[in-house]
Amino acid sequence: MYVYDMKQRSMQEPTFLILTALAAGPQHGYGIITDAEGISGGVTRLQTGTLYMALDRLRSAGLVEPDREEVADGRLRRYYRLTDEGATLLGAETERRRASAAVAAQRLRTRLAGGTA
Amino acid sequence: MSAGGTGQTTGQGGDRPARDPAGTAALERRYRRLLRCYPPSHREFHREEMLGVLLAAARPGQRTPGLRGTVNLAACGLAIRVRRIPGWLAADAGQDALAVVSLIAPAVVVILIALAPAPMNVTAAARVPFWTLPPFPPSTLVMTAWLAVVLLGLTGGRAAAVVIAFISVTIAWLAWLALSVQLLGPGPWRLGPGPGGLVQFLGPAGGIPIVLASLAACSLAFSPGPRRGLAIAGWWRACLTIAALSAGFGFPFIVQRVHPAALALTGSLAFRLLGILAIVLAIAVTRGRSPVGRRVAGLVAAGLVPSLAVLLADVAPPGVTLLVDLLVAVLVWPMAIVSWLGRVGPAARAG
Repeated sequence: MYVYDMKQRSMQEPTFLILTALAAGPQHGYGIITDAEGISGGVTRLQTGTLYMALDRLRSAGLVEPDREEVADGRLRRYYRLTDEGATLLGAETERRRASAAVAAQRLRTRLAGGTA
Repeated sequence: MSAGGTGQTTGQGGDRPARDPAGTAALERRYRRLLRCYPPSHREFHREEMLGVLLAAARPGQRTPGLRGTVNLAACGLAIRVRRIPGWLAADAGQDALAVVSLIAPAVVVILIALAPAPMNVTAAARVPFWTLPPFPPSTLVMTAWLAVVLLGLTGGRAAAVVIAFISVTIAWLAWLALSVQLLGPGPWRLGPGPGGLVQFLGPAGGIPIVLASLAACSLAFSPGPRRGLAIAGWWRACLTIAALSAGFGFPFIVQRVHPAALALTGSLAFRLLGILAIVLAIAVTRGRSPVGRRVAGLVAAGLVPSLAVLLADVAPPGVTLLVDLLVAVLVWPMAIVSWLGRVGPAARAG
């Protein structure tokens, strides 16, 4: 149901960052936050509540799933991984964003060419 | 490079400066309190790892959650709770709960109309000779209609029961809306504190417990119906629940009948407390530990709103409490419809 919704609408930025972070391999919560910040060039730092609300939704939709659990410094770390369905959706979203970016770049080039002509 | 991936350098506080243990303990305690905003199932699964992330992300020496983090946790916890309501209602247990409500709520409405003092009730009948036709005030008609709703629901005439209940509820909504406008409306709309016009015309029809009646009508329309409810609850459990709810919600009426002067002493506080007690009793007798019992209690709890809305009476004009009741009476419909669509719609077929 969520996958259906996401195909109808563009993916939200936190969701895109989380799925992208997990595309490299399983990560735990804090790892996803720091990685997502790096992916966004420091623009987006996910809040913990936002991260786990998204993970809860993505897990229900079958896009991510728990990978394993570890205990570090007496704290539970649960690692999450991207499912095949999640990877497919991320691929589709990436293509969509790439196509939009290509159109934007093309128009900017045209504008620049018109301005300098 | 992913910082927190498998075998990466940044752990959950692993490379950070040593923290003040007392400060960390205080911070953890406060985060644990904040995590109560989340639903129990979410807490059970995510609490410990969320605490790990929150503490890892904390600044050295931080003893209290920041404003942004607090708002984020509270908002996300609430959002998850709200998001789960349709699933909670659409589950089989949600439909079973609505079926039980469709059995008990109309019966409670009949009893409350019967308990209510004049002018809702028949008062003049005793003063006329028995061989003449008794007066037939609209309140009697309303009570008869709801009695028919109960009987039709139990004897397989659910469609007719839905129509009657819906007509009664619609007229009651109009009556309450007209009264609210009369009390709150500007200029020519405001007719003064006494009843008049449309209110006077619709008044007796509006003399029903509007939230419970609305809940009864929508649960009749959007659930497997009272027979299914009876199969789930059983006769004795259904009767006990009806008695408990009637006693709770009708407590002021009972007091007024037994000892009219006592109502001034017990007041609205007793109304509210007894309403809550009624819900507790309903939980106890309707398998309160089962998913169906919890949902029944949750749905019937909507009937407490008029009791709680009394709290507004001290700080807001009287029409506001009517509007609050009216709003809740209308909002129970989309809840029931969501539950129904969840059972018969694509989501149910998929899952």
